[in-house]
Amino acid sequence: MPKVFNWHINREMEYPYPATPPTRQFAAVFDTNKCIACQTCSMICKNAWTSGRGQEYMWWNNVETKPYGGFPQGWDMKVLSLLGPQSWDRGTNTYTGMTLIESALAAAQGRQVTGYLPEDAEWGNVNIGEDEAVGLIEGGTSFGLPHPVWSFYLQRICNHCSYPACLASCPRKAIYKREEDGIVLVDQERCRGYRECVRACPFKKVMYNVATRVSEKCVACFPRVEQGLQPFCTIGCPGRIRINGWIHSPQEADLESPVDFLVHGRKVALPLYPQFGLMNHIYYVPPIHVPPEYLRQMFGPAVDRAMENYRQVKDDPEMLGVFMLMGATDRWIEKFRVVQGEAVGYDAKGDEIARVPLKEPVVVRPNFDPVLTVYRHNTM
Amino acid sequence: MGPTGFLARGVALAAVLAAVGLTTGGRVLAQQEPFYAAAYVSELPTDPRSPVWGRAAASEVPLIPQAGILPALTQASVPKVTVRALYDGERLAILMSWQDRTRDALSGRPDLFRDGAAIMFPVTEGLPNVCMGAAGQVTNLWHWKADWQEDIDKGFQDVVDHYPNFYKDVYPFVTGSPPYRMPQDFSAPEAQAYLAGLSAGNPLSQPLKSSPVEELVSQGFGTATHKAAQNVSGQGVWTDGTWRVMFSRSLKAADQEAADLQGRKQVAVAFAVWDGSNQEVGARKQLSSFLTLAVGEETNQMPVWLWGVFAAIAAATVWLGWPALVRRSPRE
Repeated sequence: MPKVFNWHINREMEYPYPATPPTRQFAAVFDTNKCIACQTCSMICKNAWTSGRGQEYMWWNNVETKPYGGFPQGWDMKVLSLLGPQSWDRGTNTYTGMTLIESALAAAQGRQVTGYLPEDAEWGNVNIGEDEAVGLIEGGTSFGLPHPVWSFYLQRICNHCSYPACLASCPRKAIYKREEDGIVLVDQERCRGYRECVRACPFKKVMYNVATRVSEKCVACFPRVEQGLQPFCTIGCPGRIRINGWIHSPQEADLESPVDFLVHGRKVALPLYPQFGLMNHIYYVPPIHVPPEYLRQMFGPAVDRAMENYRQVKDDPEMLGVFMLMGATDRWIEKFRVVQGEAVGYDAKGDEIARVPLKEPVVVRPNFDPVLTVYRHNTM
Repeated sequence: MGPTGFLARGVALAAVLAAVGLTTGGRVLAQQEPFYAAAYVSELPTDPRSPVWGRAAASEVPLIPQAGILPALTQASVPKVTVRALYDGERLAILMSWQDRTRDALSGRPDLFRDGAAIMFPVTEGLPNVCMGAAGQVTNLWHWKADWQEDIDKGFQDVVDHYPNFYKDVYPFVTGSPPYRMPQDFSAPEAQAYLAGLSAGNPLSQPLKSSPVEELVSQGFGTATHKAAQNVSGQGVWTDGTWRVMFSRSLKAADQEAADLQGRKQVAVAFAVWDGSNQEVGARKQLSSFLTLAVGEETNQMPVWLWGVFAAIAAATVWLGWPALVRRSPRE
């Protein structure tokens, strides 16, 4: 099997195809700390892409409460159990365990990738476990970091991986990664509904359409991306927790690009379960109130530094600038700059497409309005 | 009887056996590979349960799990299939029957897989790779699907058939009333845009089927392609743990991608079976090696064991009859 380099785990790994990186790679940063699980992202995606016959159960975008929530139910615990022990060399941030493709279980299953096919019922409760914390808050519990009782929200779409498990598993080569932006798509004409991809994708973001009997997945709103627009789930977020951008390897990082800046520059955003070995491109700012033991399993050993760096955000105008640019425009921000207390986003042509203050001005209005001769209550 | 007489009796026996051997020689050689003959009938049956199938010899074909390529089947769930073949001079009909405890005819749920059966013929000259051919080695596949059969027998097995209590408030551009039905309530072009597989022209997504058998052309694993012309008809019936699935097509190939069976006395053929409840789909199947099917050898329908009986009778006659024969000789 060919060897490819995966900088998420800082080593070469096996993959059925040689590395053929796209011209540029679709990516996003999601700040888990700001999410309130309102599911607006889920609904905007549903309305845009999965409101058809056979897609009733599909949520290409979902938000689940960790540690117990999951769509499909228990996907993460099941995959982690199948993969077995996962070890890192913490000195070099090198993953020393097996990836889902390297795992001996894959061959034992007669498959390219270690995985499982969720049962029907597991897709049936999209938001089971919502707002369930790890325990009850006992009398006398006080807040500190990390929280003794905690939960957090995990926003999930397809990761548009560099080494997708779905693509690796498809015997028909019906899944392809676009050369122009790295978006991973299922060829709707070529797919024959075998569901090898559904079984292989650990994030369970390929789903079988029960009416057309072929599989479908998150398309990263590619018609929008082609027009220089960010996907619906990004721009629909009222909490402004998401931003899209092109991701590069650490050596080629473009620190004027918002995603590269957060991932490589400030190192506050990390891929989910990098040990799966897929080089997945949704990067998460880890929830800083959660015990790091849990987060290390989820985001790898770099999570401690990410949390530490994130806590510096109020004193870091550039980092604050990128976070303020989240949700500030529906356009795709190619580059950003912080100028005189404002963060400015630019499109591919270098035209300004967003300008936001690093600190929103505080306006105190008197409760009597002499123009309209009315009193206002401070409800807004 | 002296030693000379014994020798003469032995020579005569050898001569008779040689004669029988020469007559059957071609058959014996052909028998080195499994050899299945299609029986001639004036009218082909249209039902896999028809008694007419009894006129074709039943051949048991062993199946092995596909393990040459991933995804592989690690253990066979269907170790053999019984095959019968009939022809009427115009069309060839093949019946496959096998034991399967579960009837898996639904695929409209994320975790349900259909049962299936397939027959493969080479299209290009020579014997192709049994794994669906190879580059330049074109094969013609006839793939019967239990879910297609169900769609034909009972109407398209829709979301509402799999989930009777489901409710969804609205579908874009739908007509009719809840819970709606495919395909009629989704026939507006705008509504079809939300059925991506169907919009893309994927034959698997087509709710209306004219045959439960899909005809494909292939040049190796992963290359099976729906043929532009679909000419294989069929029917599958499951009763008491047994699938009986029949296929039929004209002997003459209707197009370049189809195997031409007209005027070819020996045709290579291979079989495959899928058990849906074992999540068998695609390359996860059990298959046979290539076998030889004889079509149109009406005069040579006698099985080899019968030739063996003839040989034994002839040998016994010569051996036992020899003394009487020599006694009548004038020289004695």
